[in-house]
Amino acid sequence: MRPSPIPLRRAARQILSSSSTIRAAAPALPTARRSLNTSTSTTGSDCTCGNGSSRRPQIQQLPKQQQHQQRSSYHSYDHPSSPAAFTPVEESILSVAYQHVPSHGFTSSALAAGARDAGYLDISPTILPEGAFTLIRYHLVKQREGLAARASDLFGGEGHVGARPGLSEREIKARVEAVTWERLLANAQVIGRWQEALAIMAQPSYVPPSLKELALLSDEILFLAGDSSVDPSWYTKRASLSTIYAAAELFMTNDHSPEFMDTRAFLNRRLREVNEVGGVFRNLREWVGFTATAGVNVLRSKGVRI
Amino acid sequence: MVARPALRRAIPSSLRSTSSKLLHAESRISRPFSTTLQSQQKPNNNNNSVPEYAIPDPARPTHFGFETVTEAEKRERVAGVFTSVAESYDRMNDLMSFGWHRVWKDHFVASLNPGFSPLTSSSDPRAPQHILDIAGGTGDIAFRMLHTAHILNGNPDVRVTISDINPAMLSVGKQRSAALPASQQAALSFLEANAEDLTQTKPLGANQVGYSPTTGVPDESVDLYTVAFGIRNFSNIPAALREAYRVLKPGGVFACLEFSKADAHPLFNTIYKQWSFSAIPLIGQLVAGDRDSYQYLVESIEKFPSQEDFRDMIVDAGFVVGGKGYEDLTGGVAAIHKGMKPRRK
Repeated sequence: MRPSPIPLRRAARQILSSSSTIRAAAPALPTARRSLNTSTSTTGSDCTCGNGSSRRPQIQQLPKQQQHQQRSSYHSYDHPSSPAAFTPVEESILSVAYQHVPSHGFTSSALAAGARDAGYLDISPTILPEGAFTLIRYHLVKQREGLAARASDLFGGEGHVGARPGLSEREIKARVEAVTWERLLANAQVIGRWQEALAIMAQPSYVPPSLKELALLSDEILFLAGDSSVDPSWYTKRASLSTIYAAAELFMTNDHSPEFMDTRAFLNRRLREVNEVGGVFRNLREWVGFTATAGVNVLRSKGVRI
Repeated sequence: MVARPALRRAIPSSLRSTSSKLLHAESRISRPFSTTLQSQQKPNNNNNSVPEYAIPDPARPTHFGFETVTEAEKRERVAGVFTSVAESYDRMNDLMSFGWHRVWKDHFVASLNPGFSPLTSSSDPRAPQHILDIAGGTGDIAFRMLHTAHILNGNPDVRVTISDINPAMLSVGKQRSAALPASQQAALSFLEANAEDLTQTKPLGANQVGYSPTTGVPDESVDLYTVAFGIRNFSNIPAALREAYRVLKPGGVFACLEFSKADAHPLFNTIYKQWSFSAIPLIGQLVAGDRDSYQYLVESIEKFPSQEDFRDMIVDAGFVVGGKGYEDLTGGVAAIHKGMKPRRK
C-alpha cells in the first residue's frame, strides 16, 4: 500500500473542485474540462456523475501502453477507468453462461451450456484462463459496475451520487448502508449457489483476485455514498466495510427470512458496532493525548527541559 | 555442425549478456515475421489474404538451433533429429525434466477437459468431438485425451487423430497404443502429415477413420487442435497456425504446450539455463548416444519466441485469446497458449 498519495491526491482534487456549484452553474466549464482531457473521449451517456458533469472520463481510444501506465487501484477522478475486464468473446460466452448459473452453479457445466447457447462448441470455454472462477469474477465485476446506476436510482438522480458538499457524517453512514444493501441484493439471484462460489474464491490461487474485487467494491460503495475522507480513515473505512460486507454476504447464504430481513438487520448491527468501536478509539486517543500533554506540562513545571 | 565446439565454449558465460543481444539481433534477421509490424499493418485479420511470411518457402532462412538454415533444410534436419531420438524419446524426457513433463501434460489435458459436456435436458448432451494432436508422435497427449474423454467424462464419441511428420515417432506411438483398451484404440488414428500443409496427408496403418490419402484434413472438421512440445520444431510457425485455423471448426480451440521463457525469475532462470545447456546434451550423449540432437533441442527452446510474442502470433493468425492468452507452468519454463477460432460473422 502506498501510504499517502491517495488521500493527498484526493485532497488536492477537492480543493480544485471545491467549487462544484460554480461549475454546475456555468455551462461553459464542463466543456473546458473536457478540453483539458484532450487525448480522452468522454462518453457522457453512461457515467453517473457525482461531481460536476463527468465523474469518470471513460477513456476508450487510448493506446494500450498508456492505459497500463495510468490505471489506478482506487476511485480516481484523474485516471481513466481500467480497461474492460473481459474481451468481447469472453463477454459473449460469459453473459450467456451467467444465465445458467441458477441451475448449474458457477461450474464448467454452466460455461459449456453458455457456449452452446452462444453458438460455440463445448470445448470453447477452455480458453477462459481461470475456468469456473472466470464466471464468478464476471458476476463480481458486473454487479460492481452496475452499482452506480442502482445507487443513482436510490438517491434520486445522477447528481446525487458521490461526494457532495453538505452531506453530514450521519447521512453518509446511512448512504453506505443503503448502497451496501443494494449490492447484497444483487446476490439474491444466485444466492443458492453463492456458498460454492465462496468456496472457489477461497482456493489459494483465487484469493488475491477475490480480495482485489472486494477492495474495489468497498471503494466503490464508499465513493457512491459520498465519502470524501482524506485522512487515515480512508483506509480504515475501506477495511472495515470490506470485512462487514464479506460477513454479511456469508450470513445471507443461510438467510431464509422473507426478503432477507435478517441479513439487513445483521448488516445494520455490524455497521453500528464499527461506529461504536470507532467512537471508543477516538475517546481513547483523546484521553491518551490529554494525559501525555498534561504529563509533559507537569514535568516542565518541575523544571525538566522538554 | 562445424561451429558446435566454439558454440559450446561460448554459451555458459554469455547466457546473460552478450549472446542474448546477439541472439535478438540474429532472430530479427532470421525470423521473417515481425508480429508487431504485422499487427500495425493489418489490425483486422480476416484470414483472406495470407501474408507472405506465412506461405511455406523452402528457400527462406529460418533457424535450426543457433544456426541459420533454409526452411527445407530445417525440415530435413528436424526429421533427422527425431528419427534418431524416437526410441529413447520418452526415457529422455523423464531424465531431462525429472519426470515433471508428465505433470505439465496432465495439467494441459485437464485444463482442456476434452469430451466434457454440460448436463442439459436435450436429447443427447454428449457431443462428439474430434481432436487433432499435431506432432503427437509418441501419443503422450493423445492417450491422456482419450482417458479424460472416455473414462472421466464418459463420452465415447471423442476420437483423436495423432499426426506427426515423422514416421519413426508415429510408429513408437503406434506400438505404445497397443496397451490401450480396445475402445480407445478404435478411437485413435495415425496420420503422417506436415503441419504447415494438412491438405496432403498419409495415413499410417489401417485404422484411420474418415481420411483418404488425397483429401487431407478438411476445413472446419476439428474441435480441438493440440500441439505439445512440437511447434518450435516447425519450419514456418505462422503457416502452421494458419493451417490450424483452417481445420478448426468455428469455436474450436487451438492449444499449445511448449517450452517458454522463465525470464521473470532471474535466479531460477540462471540455474535452468545452466542445466539445459550443460546437463541435457550430456545426458543425451550418455543415454541416447546422440549429443547433437539434444544440443539442438535446448537451442531450439532458446530460440522460441517469448510468451507474449507467441501469443501475438496466434492472434495474428486469426484466433481470439482469453485473458492474457497464455498460462505459465513452473515459472515459465513451459507455457500453455490457447486460442479460439471465432464464429463466422
